[in-house]
Amino acid sequence: MPAPATTYERVVYKNPSEYHYMKVCLEFQDRGVGLNAAQFKQLLISALKDLFGEVDAALPLDVLTYEEKTLSAILRICSSGLVKLWSSLTLLGSYKGKKCAFRVIQVSPFLLALSGNSRELVLD
Amino acid sequence: MVRFKHRYLLCELVSDDPRCRLSLDDRVLGGLIRDTIARVHGTFGAAACSIGFAVRYLNAYTGIVLLRCRKEFYQLVWSALPFITYLENKGHRYPCFFNTLHVGGTIRTCQKFLIQYNRRQLLILLQNCTDEGEREAIQKSVTRSCLLEEESGEEELSDNGGEEAAEATE
Repeated sequence: MPAPATTYERVVYKNPSEYHYMKVCLEFQDRGVGLNAAQFKQLLISALKDLFGEVDAALPLDVLTYEEKTLSAILRICSSGLVKLWSSLTLLGSYKGKKCAFRVIQVSPFLLALSGNSRELVLD
Repeated sequence: MVRFKHRYLLCELVSDDPRCRLSLDDRVLGGLIRDTIARVHGTFGAAACSIGFAVRYLNAYTGIVLLRCRKEFYQLVWSALPFITYLENKGHRYPCFFNTLHVGGTIRTCQKFLIQYNRRQLLILLQNCTDEGEREAIQKSVTRSCLLEEESGEEELSDNGGEEAAEATE
């Protein structure tokens, strides 16, 4: 008996996702500086306000997780604001007079992708 | 052809206080708009809009202002105008707001729009007029605007209409 003809169905996911997720880490030049979650978010918003003004400081930005020890966080921003947030994080130079820099570790439109990072994979 | 394209924003300064319009100065206004853009759109907006920005025409009697900005960033300027809430002059603060009447690509199109707008405003003034002397003056201006087709005559007309508008609002 001839095999039944297989029907192919191609599903193309064209809708761009509404949010982008960024994993970032804040580094200070000197040790011993701590920020709590509210101060961290205030720092992000002031960076946006500096570069892009009050209109873009009001972008719906969420800090999903924050670790105070390592100063790393996962942020969520709507896709139209990703370029603005990333550029304002790049240009942020100091917090309360102390020099600091944001390191962007991973960016993805899917939150699940941030759970595993092949750069941090350790092969035993 | 390769040239820098601009957008001209025709705005009207609306205020309760009649002294507000008379204290309009083009440098003060330019500085106020630049500060507002810096506040609303940040360093990026201030830099982007200030390249081709200029106050091209200012009429203190009617409160008409013509602003010029680059075509790529005219929306930043336009969206910052509603955030201007007061005009400061010699320590006095006058609350006011900017009403954008027309956006054009050249000064000529803005002028054509302004002429038609002033004609319509004259007819509205005629309807709301109470004093007989003012009524006659406005009727004379209206008939003159219908007969005359030169631009210089119509520019005088818009000034006259402005003076009567300033009197009528007081």
